[in-house]
Amino acid sequence: MEMFTSIGLNHFLTISAILFSFGMFAVMTRKNAIVILMGVELILNAANINFLTFSKYNGGMTGVMFSLFVIVLAAAEAAVALAIVINIFKTFKTVDVSRVDTMKE
Amino acid sequence: MMHSLIQLSIVVLLLPLLSFVVLIFFNRRLPRMGDFVGVGLLGTAFSIALYIFWTVVVQHYDPAYRIAWDFTWLDFGNVPGVGPLVVKMGIVIDNLTAIMLAMVTLISLLVHLYSTGYMHGDPRYGRFFAFLGIFTFSMLGIVLSDNLFSIYMFWELVGLSSYLLIGFYFEKDSAADAQKKAFLTNRVGDIGMWLGILILYSQFHTFGYREIFENIAAGKFTLSNGWLTAAGILLFFGCVGKSAQFPLHVWLPDAMEGPTPVSALIHAATMVAAGVYFVGRIFVILTPDALHYIAFIGAVTAFMSATIAITQHDIKRVLAYSTVSQLGYMVMGLGVGAYSAALFHLLTHAFFKACLFLGSGAIIHAMHHEQDMRWMGGLRKQMPWTFATFSIATLALAGLPLTSGFMSKDAILAGALGFASVEGGGIYYIIPVLGFASAMMTAFYMGRQVWLVFFGESRTHLKPAEEHHGDHGHDAHGHDDHGHDDHGGSHHGVHEVGWIMRAPLVVLATLSVFFVFSPDPLDGAKGWFMHLVPTPATVVKSAGAQHEAALGVTGGKLLAEAATDTVKPEAGEHAQAAEGHGAASEGHGPVFTDPRQAELAHAMHANHYTAIYLSSGMLVLGIGFALVVYAFGVIDPGKTAQAIRPLYLYSFNKWYWDEIYDATLIKGSMLISKMLAWFDSNIVDGIVNGIATIFRKFAFLNGNIDKYVVDGTVNFTAFFVQTSGAVMRKIQTGKVQTYLVMVTAAVLGYFAFYLVQLMK
Repeated sequence: MEMFTSIGLNHFLTISAILFSFGMFAVMTRKNAIVILMGVELILNAANINFLTFSKYNGGMTGVMFSLFVIVLAAAEAAVALAIVINIFKTFKTVDVSRVDTMKE
Repeated sequence: MMHSLIQLSIVVLLLPLLSFVVLIFFNRRLPRMGDFVGVGLLGTAFSIALYIFWTVVVQHYDPAYRIAWDFTWLDFGNVPGVGPLVVKMGIVIDNLTAIMLAMVTLISLLVHLYSTGYMHGDPRYGRFFAFLGIFTFSMLGIVLSDNLFSIYMFWELVGLSSYLLIGFYFEKDSAADAQKKAFLTNRVGDIGMWLGILILYSQFHTFGYREIFENIAAGKFTLSNGWLTAAGILLFFGCVGKSAQFPLHVWLPDAMEGPTPVSALIHAATMVAAGVYFVGRIFVILTPDALHYIAFIGAVTAFMSATIAITQHDIKRVLAYSTVSQLGYMVMGLGVGAYSAALFHLLTHAFFKACLFLGSGAIIHAMHHEQDMRWMGGLRKQMPWTFATFSIATLALAGLPLTSGFMSKDAILAGALGFASVEGGGIYYIIPVLGFASAMMTAFYMGRQVWLVFFGESRTHLKPAEEHHGDHGHDAHGHDDHGHDDHGGSHHGVHEVGWIMRAPLVVLATLSVFFVFSPDPLDGAKGWFMHLVPTPATVVKSAGAQHEAALGVTGGKLLAEAATDTVKPEAGEHAQAAEGHGAASEGHGPVFTDPRQAELAHAMHANHYTAIYLSSGMLVLGIGFALVVYAFGVIDPGKTAQAIRPLYLYSFNKWYWDEIYDATLIKGSMLISKMLAWFDSNIVDGIVNGIATIFRKFAFLNGNIDKYVVDGTVNFTAFFVQTSGAVMRKIQTGKVQTYLVMVTAAVLGYFAFYLVQLMK
């Protein structure tokens, strides 16, 4: 089938959208901070797929450079976020974000 | 440069004031409560007044003698709407002033002396002398004044001192009521007097007697003669109040609530005579109409009071009505034109009435404050001195020949007879008829009084035991009860009073005998008084008589000439005048350019002997009747009173004047007051309360607007914010995930919207 044999732009974008949706779903519904971070990673990688896809079909290197920056940024973000999560755990003895609500009062 | 007599008269005027000031402030710190200050200062004043009297009356012996001095007291400049307003104060000394000065200080001194005995032991002893001092000061002020303004001031001061002294025993309601009554009644007259002064002032812009007289004589009175009559009658109202004349006489008998020396000094001898003195001062401006009015008032007063005096039981009340009656005589004398006679009677009456009052005070003192004559009797043995002096004064009052009262009263009655004949008889004969009737009644009630008090046996045991002081009805008699509670029952130890109370009686009784005033006991006109105080020429143009020149001046000159001609009056000369009164200008009396006055003077001379016979007849009748009733018991007074009970009650209740005033004026003014009070509490208060209610309602409305509209807006805003906040708060959970959901939903929504748009 044409549709399965030739992998085109739409396939990449669809994968990216599905990945984004999974990430978004994880961020919105999970209570565990670490799972939320994993959701964020999914969203970032969905964005990277989009960058690379458009870079390939556009014929430039800009998208590749952008995705490299995103990967570095995601690493830094993961490091900082995990440090925050560890501190939250130290303070509240939990990583459940719905229970970290001291500022609400 | 002030005349030395003026300087001395100022000293006389101020000495009693000094006595008042010293005693009112320091009487408690002085030994004997300072009575010696009052007596001493009055003694000094009397000595100086006697010197003035000696210089003026004895040395000059000139009917036209007059010295005056004045100074500008207040100068208001030209007051808009009034004209120049300058108030002067001044002193005038003429024969009348000099005589009055001596008379007032003498009686005041005697009363001071007498009071040291009578008032002994009173808790307010010192204050009493202080009040006597201010009274004497005010009275001397009236005597010395040379203008209407200052006489009005002293007039009110005299009213004040009278008020203070009547209510001296102010603990008693009757005394407090009497003082208020006296003051208010006097005010009624004084308002008239002030209006009279204002009429004259509005014409001439001066208060001085001399200036007013000269202006009227010069014809500068621009209003009609009716206004001049009105001014005269209004000025006379002052006399009606102060001298207790007919419509306003009611205060004087009640004034007997004061201590008896006060009654003698103020309410018999001096103050009440001030009214007569004042009318004498303004005599020349009185029109014939005003004089007729005055004559009728005087005659009615004299008659009415004499009828009342007959039935009174209180010894002082009889004397009080007798005083009113005699004042009526004086006023009548002035009204009929017998000027010198009236003022002569003023002088003689002052002495014998003071003697009578002081005598009654001695009796009251000796009887331990019994004033009812029904329970006296037989006192002549215990009190010979009082009896003798009281009898002399009584005879003088009744008008027995050889007494002073005879001369002055007969002169007045002769004037009244002459007046009636000049006016053409008819209705004018009422005046002499009332005068003679009063003379008879005077003799009767004085005979009754002397008999009840001094003759017969003591009737003290007849007094009902339950009857106490003040139980004699609502018009409680004046009792000088201070500290003596041993009254009631029998009066043991009735004794003659001490010499200090006896001496004034003797002096006054001596001054009630004829030789003091005139060498001829039958004719006062031969005496020094009527020579020195001649009837002044009127300044009013009577109908048909036109005077070219200023009469006050010419009259005075003529008068002075006449006086120099007859400076040593011979009895023969006067007899000529009496016989041939057509040629009076050669005779003794003053020369009148006014035909009416001349006619009156002639008629008075013509009637001189008629009056003597008639009044002697009246005296015999009156005293004889008194003897028949009270001494021989031919007629029983009690049964007679029963037989003519209506008349008796009419007299006993003082013609019901108090009741009439009570029913009309007092009830009327109470009614007006109540109406005004009703108006005030209902209408005026109603308006005020109504306005208050309106404002209150408005304020409530305003409050409600504030409460519901303004506060409502504010509260609604708050409420809205609160509710919407409560709704919004539910959205704001604080969970990032929720927000993320919303953001996602919004983005998806946007895309959905965009997609739908795109599809179209």
